[in-house]
Amino acid sequence: MWDTVGLWVGGILTVAIFSLLYRDNPFYRAAEHLLVGVSAGYYVVHYFYSSVIRKFYVPVFQQGDLWLLPGGLLGLLVLFRLSRRWQWVSRYAIAFYVAAWSGYLIPSVVQERVLAQVASTIPASPSSENTYAFLMGMLVLVGVVSILVYFYFSAPHRGLLGRISQVGITFLMIGFGASFGYTVMGRVSLLIGRFQYLLQELPATLR
Amino acid sequence: MAPDRETAARNAGRSRSARLAARLAHVDRRLIFVVVGLAVALPLIFPLNLPIQSSREARAYFDALEGLEAGDEIIFSFDYEPDTMAELDPMSMATLRHAFRRGIQVVALTNYAGGAGIAERVLSEVAAEYDRTYGVDYVFLGYNPDYSATMLRMGESIQRTFPTDHYRTPTDELPLLQEVDRYAEIELLVTVTASALAEYWIIWAGGKYGQRIIAGNTAIQAVLIYPYFQAGQLDGFLGGLKGAAEYERMIEVDGAGVRGMDAQSSAHVLIVLFILLGNIGYFLQRRAERAEGSQ
Repeated sequence: MWDTVGLWVGGILTVAIFSLLYRDNPFYRAAEHLLVGVSAGYYVVHYFYSSVIRKFYVPVFQQGDLWLLPGGLLGLLVLFRLSRRWQWVSRYAIAFYVAAWSGYLIPSVVQERVLAQVASTIPASPSSENTYAFLMGMLVLVGVVSILVYFYFSAPHRGLLGRISQVGITFLMIGFGASFGYTVMGRVSLLIGRFQYLLQELPATLR
Repeated sequence: MAPDRETAARNAGRSRSARLAARLAHVDRRLIFVVVGLAVALPLIFPLNLPIQSSREARAYFDALEGLEAGDEIIFSFDYEPDTMAELDPMSMATLRHAFRRGIQVVALTNYAGGAGIAERVLSEVAAEYDRTYGVDYVFLGYNPDYSATMLRMGESIQRTFPTDHYRTPTDELPLLQEVDRYAEIELLVTVTASALAEYWIIWAGGKYGQRIIAGNTAIQAVLIYPYFQAGQLDGFLGGLKGAAEYERMIEVDGAGVRGMDAQSSAHVLIVLFILLGNIGYFLQRRAERAEGSQ
């Protein structure tokens, strides 16, 4: 019973949001404000419970895990940002966070996003079994090098450098085109999701 | 033809193309919305059953799960919120159907606060289809703040990262988590995500702990994910609703992905037509402006 009511409320709100496509109106405004209010309430409660209660209050005060206390106190320092006079205190917490995460993140990101990617641009040696893979690997290599040349700004893009950077622009344009195509596909998919809801799931509740 | 009549005919032709260009440039956008709406709605009501070809990356995603044996464990991360459910729910449903059908056990979690409700719904729905038992065949750990810390710590101990599951049951009491407690004991990690979280799984779980990973992504994210697949850092991936449809066809259980493909194709054809018309309008307008300038 309540599931059906929920589905129909969802349907009415979907139509109210779609009504903006015609023009701005009170139904759209009401649905928009409801979305903002409900989302804010949901996330405040969820974040407070999962961070402060589940990760700090329960382990420290109910299970006696006092190792978490310094971290919790450091986190509390961030609240000093609310005072103009004492906001400098919050910088200690932020400085600790930035330093710790930089140390953690930088080596791993360099390894996985840079070194592993650079290694994969070097095509495997050609053989009769993997000619296609070798050709694709060469294409990737040409694309990466020409785009890097396009972003080399310490010499004028004339002559050979200019021609290579033109190839780089072509690869970039193909990349942007693919990205735009995927974006269109994603947006259409979301519309399809709403239409499936309105045309298939809602009528099913009437059967 | 006399010169004055020839000029008049040319001017009339120019004014016709100028009018057409002006019309194309000033089409009421609400008309476009209606046409796009019809292009999406009609194939949903009257399916065309257009063929769906499977891609190399979707095949690799399927093979990664197909290669596991009954009793193996996977981590399944619902890394999305309601705004991208339309694209990603079909992937989650299909992956869980594939896993439960093959007797694979699932340790589920979410890195988004808004993903908890989605995960609960999808897990309970698919588990009911295959008669799977909570705690034995699958568990849901819930949401943990700070995804990087969560991903890192799970490599050491899942139980310490999640002392209780989503329903506040201590994780050391769940039979499934008494068998596995870190990446080294998990065969495969699946992330279905609308953001860059697949990249973070690759960095933390893949790079640091050598965990095998497959990913389901929104179409927008798919472009950014290809390099990781090409580099071998991802074993397979699905891109957008099309990827979900390909995977549904491979596991032979048609769902929302397959049902949406006809609408996707007709909308794409329409958008290509709009782009062509827009370009024709642009060039006609430019020609008309040049002609006016030369007079």
